[in-house]
Amino acid sequence: MAESKYLTEHYGKPEYCTLDGYKKLGGYQVLEKALKMQPQQIIDEVKASGLRGRGGAGFATGVKWGFLPNNGEPRYLLCNADESEPGTFKDRLMMERAPHQLIEGMIISAFAIKAKKAYIYIRGEYTGPAAILEKAIAEAKAAGYLGKNILGSGFDLDLDLYIGAGAYICGEETGMISSLEGLKGQPKLKPPFPAVQGYLRKPTIVNNVETLAAVTYIIRDGAAGYRKYGTEKSAGTKLFSISGNVNKPGTYEVPLGYKLMDLINIECGGMKPGRKLKAVVPGGSSAPVITAEECERATLDYECLAQMGTMLGSGAIIVIDDSNCMVDVLSTITHFYHHESCGQCTPCREGTGWMEKIVHGIVHGEGKPGDIDLLLKIADQMKGRTICALSDAAALPVLSFVTKFRDEFEYFIREKKSKVRGGQIYAQMHA
Amino acid sequence: MLKCTLNGREVEVKEGTTIIEAFYQNKIDIAHYCWHPGLSIAGVCRLCMVEIEGNPRLQIACNTVVTEGMKVNNQSAKVKEAVKWGLDFHLINHPLDCPICDQAGECGLQDQYMKYGQYDSEMAEAKQKKHKVVDLGPRVVLDSERCILCSRCVRFTDEVSKTNELGIFNRGDRAEIGTFNGKPLANKYSINTVDICPVGALTSKDFRFRQRVWFLKDAETVCTGCSTGCNVKVYYNREGLFRVKPVYNSEVNGHWMCDEGRDVYKFVNKESRLLDARVVSGVKSEHMTAFEAAKRVGEKLKGAGKTVGLVLTGSYTVEEYEAILSYFKTEVGTDRVFHWINNPESFEGFDGLLLRGDRNPNTRGLVQAMQKHGLTAQWKELTEALSTGSIQTLVVAGPENQVWFPDFKVKVAELSKATRLIWMTSGKSSALDELKGEVTLIPMKSYIEKSGTFVNHTGRAQTIRPVTSIVKGALSLTEVVTAFRGEALQGSEVVPGRSENEVGRGRIHNEFTLSRGTW
Repeated sequence: MAESKYLTEHYGKPEYCTLDGYKKLGGYQVLEKALKMQPQQIIDEVKASGLRGRGGAGFATGVKWGFLPNNGEPRYLLCNADESEPGTFKDRLMMERAPHQLIEGMIISAFAIKAKKAYIYIRGEYTGPAAILEKAIAEAKAAGYLGKNILGSGFDLDLDLYIGAGAYICGEETGMISSLEGLKGQPKLKPPFPAVQGYLRKPTIVNNVETLAAVTYIIRDGAAGYRKYGTEKSAGTKLFSISGNVNKPGTYEVPLGYKLMDLINIECGGMKPGRKLKAVVPGGSSAPVITAEECERATLDYECLAQMGTMLGSGAIIVIDDSNCMVDVLSTITHFYHHESCGQCTPCREGTGWMEKIVHGIVHGEGKPGDIDLLLKIADQMKGRTICALSDAAALPVLSFVTKFRDEFEYFIREKKSKVRGGQIYAQMHA
Repeated sequence: MLKCTLNGREVEVKEGTTIIEAFYQNKIDIAHYCWHPGLSIAGVCRLCMVEIEGNPRLQIACNTVVTEGMKVNNQSAKVKEAVKWGLDFHLINHPLDCPICDQAGECGLQDQYMKYGQYDSEMAEAKQKKHKVVDLGPRVVLDSERCILCSRCVRFTDEVSKTNELGIFNRGDRAEIGTFNGKPLANKYSINTVDICPVGALTSKDFRFRQRVWFLKDAETVCTGCSTGCNVKVYYNREGLFRVKPVYNSEVNGHWMCDEGRDVYKFVNKESRLLDARVVSGVKSEHMTAFEAAKRVGEKLKGAGKTVGLVLTGSYTVEEYEAILSYFKTEVGTDRVFHWINNPESFEGFDGLLLRGDRNPNTRGLVQAMQKHGLTAQWKELTEALSTGSIQTLVVAGPENQVWFPDFKVKVAELSKATRLIWMTSGKSSALDELKGEVTLIPMKSYIEKSGTFVNHTGRAQTIRPVTSIVKGALSLTEVVTAFRGEALQGSEVVPGRSENEVGRGRIHNEFTLSRGTW
């Protein structure tokens, strides 16, 4: 098996990001087809396709749509483009190369769930993609794909772009809703879930960019057509963002179930010369790290990675070679979560800072013998204790790094220097 | 009703009850900080963890609704471990300044630590530094380092006072409570945020550093600051009263009280009180006990008829009104009884939450008593009678809270036209001290020192009991009448607090009573 250009088929063509170019390459034809279907048919098709959320949690999209209550209240469709999990940059590529692909997917999805108002919530740092999307939305409006009575179907949809201020937590769906409502970007207590009471306390569906884009392809090719890619439980293709010590980092689309080592060795051109694979963080920085040996067995689907105690997440694969000190890597990760904790729930607010201080201490040669066990205890108590998953996201890398690379941590604490890079101090390493 | 099992005990709760409410209703301890029955659910402190049978993940009790047959446990090893760690997370950046913290002795962190913690902290890293002594407004000070960000105060200003002054600024462990530029915490209910603050982050400017709480006793009574009659607890020792806090009563004040009501105690303390009776006659001025002074007045009043007038304010109890009105009608022989209303223009006012324009605890009781005795005299009749001299002796009772009678000095000047003035009040005042002619000042007992009934604006009768004695020898109106008659006083024993059946239904049905204030 090799790379499958399915969603990304035309990404190499610059004209694909304009309305004309997109239409010439078959764009908005699926929308015409979809608008002639019954909304429920679309939902059923998406359910049958086995499409799972591409943002990180991997929840079945059709099932999520099915949670909307039939109470006559207005519904909202929100596109989560706050791509903030460290290591992830696939949504950025999609929005830059194919803004209309997302818009078409959103119109079809909004039609399916009967939403008349949709937003794309994009992270503040994505100024480039935001400008491209603004232009694309204006084009689509002018062409009658958005607004009143779309293509004579009687369906109305208003789509707006909302630019966030750049907080990791606004990528969490209820944090995003708070932010969109003009409040501080903090996740909301669940229940109620967004499908029941979301944006403005109305039924709301939040989907990732890639998820919404995939809907168009499911309607075009049917559930069976979509299922040609991927495995039984992880259907379809997925865009993976590969960063780290490989020869050709970047975004690659492969069918789910693809071998991790194939992706590294074939698509990404293998490891840098003379270096050896040490570890991979497979699903964004919050996913537990797996060792080189585990990588040999890993396939890129939800089940295999879950079985290995980690997750597919957003598909952000961070490849770490043997020149890296795992204590350094964890120090960067703990700093990130400390910086991004919204501060609402106590275990996360206090725990993220505590863990960072401990790891930071080790990196600066101030580690204490009990630090490793303390880190494990703190992380363990942060897991599953908070409103949203940020606490888990901060705890899981600590647990996995410390457990799987304990010798590096012990060495650092004992010798006051890195097992990998020796006495060089952290700041020099990253200067 | 639903059946559920709490720590192995089967109980029944109403549909829609959350697990934490079920625990409270059944008087089972459960750790928590952010949950407050008078506020929305925040679910952020993560202390009220419970184990629900069939759910591998611990759940928070405050945001989980009880379902039929649910089996809940907060005593399992898993829950205890989670609560212990929950406390540790709260404490790692919390300063260890209990010895100089006003909250010490009634602190949520101290209490929960003694109940659920009792471990040695493993935090060896530097603590997070935050702002100290932040002046939030005229009555409240913030210490951000002590704050555990439970957001109760923010929710209070959002949901109860609806003034939205407070917010949480910054994020993560740098987050701090604060006010917006130029918008201080200045609402009329601001000290409630201090009450509901589970730690020493918010302190009342009035109370801070004045007394350690363990040196104070407390007793329940009724606030006399307006006609709402909030149920309150007063905190006192031998030196006097130090503070007032609201006590939950679903039918009167809910969980809250206003800031001005908290000042009522100041009128009760010795420094603002009339300490003994004074009889002025021309240039002669004589100090004596209240009883002696009243006895002398009584000798002159008996049978004096319509040359005597009586002015009453709404500060006294139903029982006192009854005693003095029947004395004046039958033994003095006058029906010239006048009702002194404070600030008539705002008398009917109401701020929409608790505070009423009628700044008397018992206006309704006075009106009812006057109606019962067929007393209908109007204020302008008094003005006329004083200028024509048809009233020569005037007896005035009150007001007890002089600050809320803006016309006090004007009225003193007006009423001093009477040949003989007998003024009974608990508070000292320069206006009264400067009176010339024939004047008798009689010190009265404050609401803290007597028993009786107040009828609030809705007609609800609420009982008060003596809490402590502050001015020895001061009299209640009932005792004044006894002295008028020349009879001996019966020693009244001070028994603090009120019994359950005196408190009334709303209080007893309080599902969330804890030992201390509104916790």
